[in-house]
Amino acid sequence: MSSDCENQVKEPVVATAEARRAFESSAFACLEKEFGAVRSDKDSWGLTAVIAADKLRDSVLFLKNDPQFQMDMLVDIAGVDYLGFEDYAGPRFAVLYMFKSVYLPAHRLSLKVFVSEADLKVPTISDIYPIANWQEREVFDQFGVIFVGHPDLRRILNHVEFVGNPLRKDYPAHRRQWLSTNDYMLPVLEARLEAKGYKILSRSKEILPNEEEYLTGSIKK
Amino acid sequence: MTAEAQESNFFTSKLDFVVNWGRKNSLWPFPYGTACCAIEFMSTESSRYDLSRIGSEYVRFTPRQSDVLAVEGTITYKQAPILKRIYEQLAEPKWVVCMGACATSGGVYDCYCTVPGIDNIIPVDVYIGGCPPRPESFFDAMFDLQNKIMDESYMKQRTERVKEQLEAIKAKTLECKAELAEFSHEKVNEIKAGVGDLKAAAIRKAEFWKENP
Repeated sequence: MSSDCENQVKEPVVATAEARRAFESSAFACLEKEFGAVRSDKDSWGLTAVIAADKLRDSVLFLKNDPQFQMDMLVDIAGVDYLGFEDYAGPRFAVLYMFKSVYLPAHRLSLKVFVSEADLKVPTISDIYPIANWQEREVFDQFGVIFVGHPDLRRILNHVEFVGNPLRKDYPAHRRQWLSTNDYMLPVLEARLEAKGYKILSRSKEILPNEEEYLTGSIKK
Repeated sequence: MTAEAQESNFFTSKLDFVVNWGRKNSLWPFPYGTACCAIEFMSTESSRYDLSRIGSEYVRFTPRQSDVLAVEGTITYKQAPILKRIYEQLAEPKWVVCMGACATSGGVYDCYCTVPGIDNIIPVDVYIGGCPPRPESFFDAMFDLQNKIMDESYMKQRTERVKEQLEAIKAKTLECKAELAEFSHEKVNEIKAGVGDLKAAAIRKAEFWKENP
């Protein structure tokens, strides 16, 4: 392994088509053998492996830790809503995980997990890749997919009073929702001050956004 | 007075004119920059265009020290209460310049998350079109605002304010009077009921002593 690394440092690593094809076939063979992955025929550009939700964590850990693949970068997590998709029968939602390797540019693949509308649950990978924390929050916000085991599953883009998931196909794109209050930042601020060693003399009371007293003078119509 | 008026450093003018002249030549902007319009505002402020030529010398990043709220960029629904709050924190007199297509009408963001024009939230004095508008447009808007300020009347506004206050005081007085009347009625009724009870007790006592001398 160490001699391989030295060679890589000496020669620039180029993502040729052959290298990409070789990686795709070897990676898919491993995924198929160990986790029962199915290659998606919709992706004609690269490798997309469809995987069962309960095998997701194992396969991600395998791809990250295997010295042969070194998928050490999670590029993005995307949600897909197949409602109204032509010639499609299957679960309504899908979550796509896009991985690549920082040192081996030919190594890139995506994993796809189908999620049915009845059971919107996918295991979290935010403990494996810390960036997945926010990306999973975004998918949760826009599609309503629940990531089991996520430490802080809140909305990230839309405001707290938002009802519904705007990137679902059945959400009317022009339905606008007013926010009536400012974000209540003091608890977060106090926690940060405390972490820096400051002493909090009087703790602020958290006000819920639907409290009448707090809404006085706000823009709610 | 006549002797003072003959001094060389003495002049007469209208109060409105002096106040408006002072206001229009020291418009300090508060840049509420959320998008690329704010970049154009930076070049408006910097030396090539130099907004301080018309007295907008300082860009103040606190609403308490500025006169003009320059809203530059897309305002989302998550941002809207913050903008509203900052507008409310501006001290009177205050004006609002709405810069660019996004702030004026939502622009290309015709979707669930963008406010379709900040005039849904706060009153706007001058709109600037463009995506983003050039610094010349911002200057044009400031000149428009200056003209608008020269048309304002300080004394008239003051009279209106005093009138409003007077009406508010009158309304409050009426309310208090009604409250007092209601309260005193209640009290009188209470006392009357109490008097009835006392009377009955006295009669009972008298009857008792009549029967048992």
